[in-house]
Amino acid sequence: MQSDSSVPTFLADSPVETLGPVPQVTLKSEQNRLLLVLPEAEAKPDDPAWAELLQQLEQRLKGGERFWRSEVPVYLCAGERLLDVRQLQDLAESLAHYRLRLRWVGTRRKPTALAAVNAGYSVEQLAPSENLNGAAKPDDSPHQAEPLYLQMTVRSGVEVRHPGTVVILGDLNPGGEVVADGDILVWGRLRGRAHAGASGNAHAVILSLQMAPALLRISECLARVPEEGFLGEYHPEVAYIAAEPGGGIHIAQAADFLRQELPRMERERTVARQNGSPTLAALWSALDRMDGRQPKTSGGQA
Amino acid sequence: MSRIVVVTSGKGGVGKTTCSANLGMALARLGRKVVLLDADFGLRNLDLLLGLENRVVYTALEVIAGECRLEQALVRDKRQTNLALLAAPQTRNKNAVTSDQMRQLVESLSQLFDYVLVDCPAGIEQGFQNAVAGANEAVIISTPEMAAVRDADRVVGLLEANRVSKMGLIVNRIRPGMVRANDMMSVQDMLEILSIPLLGVIPEDEQVIVSTNRGEPLVLADRPSLAGVAFAHAAQRLEGKEVEYVDLDGGDESFFERLVRFLRGSRA
Repeated sequence: MQSDSSVPTFLADSPVETLGPVPQVTLKSEQNRLLLVLPEAEAKPDDPAWAELLQQLEQRLKGGERFWRSEVPVYLCAGERLLDVRQLQDLAESLAHYRLRLRWVGTRRKPTALAAVNAGYSVEQLAPSENLNGAAKPDDSPHQAEPLYLQMTVRSGVEVRHPGTVVILGDLNPGGEVVADGDILVWGRLRGRAHAGASGNAHAVILSLQMAPALLRISECLARVPEEGFLGEYHPEVAYIAAEPGGGIHIAQAADFLRQELPRMERERTVARQNGSPTLAALWSALDRMDGRQPKTSGGQA
Repeated sequence: MSRIVVVTSGKGGVGKTTCSANLGMALARLGRKVVLLDADFGLRNLDLLLGLENRVVYTALEVIAGECRLEQALVRDKRQTNLALLAAPQTRNKNAVTSDQMRQLVESLSQLFDYVLVDCPAGIEQGFQNAVAGANEAVIISTPEMAAVRDADRVVGLLEANRVSKMGLIVNRIRPGMVRANDMMSVQDMLEILSIPLLGVIPEDEQVIVSTNRGEPLVLADRPSLAGVAFAHAAQRLEGKEVEYVDLDGGDESFFERLVRFLRGSRA
């Protein structure tokens, strides 16, 4: 044995930063313009990640098509991302297909600014941040983002992440995933994976017209559907974290949830606010949830 | 304006190439000028299914590289002269060409034909990207299994992102008896997930194996099997005609089963 500390090269060379959650493109309405925020990662024109980013942009544009007036000018927040003329063209072309007009480019990088000037956009060059990878993440902010409303079928292979509530007007299909810091409302069939309160909000809920999920998660709890499957009528249902001592994710019919569980959750929040700190019981339940046991799932009806 | 249709599925082995061959032949028999483009570079099969293997001299790669004229590489089918094949190279792989080159190739084919049917390789990598480049319509092939449907769903999403908005579904290899017994997904189950219009339902058929070995698409048979008829109907629906769905129930149901169903039905 010459060296026992050698790291296998396939591990050292593997592009770790491309793993993890799918980086998300964000579209935000702001007064008379639309903000297009690109995720903080670099992608070259021939990089498959760039094609994926364009595909995601296309899905988001299509999913929100109804909400934008035509010819709304778009401000591109490129941040630290390096973009060349062709990539700017790609973005402008995608936007133009939905009658949106790329007009401003905000960037911290000089090459991007030059490319944008060459392509004829107004450029706002922001000061480079001191710490390149310490740029403030949007989820650091204490407030949740505005709800994200998408009119689309979240199909297999699509991952929607949002630091607020997500509303899907359409189905969430098997193999698709929605991760939200707030609630998830699926106005359609929920058959994929949904994770509400992803940043730790145990009061988040998941609502759906037909609840047949592959996996539900709320905060740190998770629930699977019963192995035998479900053959019955579907009603609009709500998944929530139940009161102690049971804990875990429960599913109730929407009407029952509104009458019983919602007021209960409201009371709990009030108590928590008055105490100023988590109660001992809440602490125990949190520990309980983290010890990895499978919370029970209850169907809406027998 | 010619139609550029990519035949795709995501999952392999669900019958893309069989469907391409039969749809192409059926459309040609309806009087349309059709070219089948095999986009499965490195794993070409379409020439075999059409029985044109021995007549392939040049492939799509030579056309793209400018080593031959497009007309030289097109293989006309002698049984049905409306149909032509542009074969895939067997010696190269999917990264041999770019999406832009494929787009140009498809564009020049569309000048000569009413239909350009692109037989897409399995997967969603470069080969898929190349095959969908330039396509404005898609026929999605799926068998009634969860794995195939999930892959098809992924492909539908990718096609939407590529702005291929017109899509139709062909359900392949269905066994009505198993669907009735709740042992197989129904067409309805599949449509609920994929939410795209239905183009055809093809029953499981042993004749497919025979026709593949012979290089004779099912739709060419004098007395086509149920699957052959279903393919011909799918082609008509692609043409925009309303065609009644054939009752597949007779296919794999025994006389006794039919009798039981008849008696049950009359009592209800």
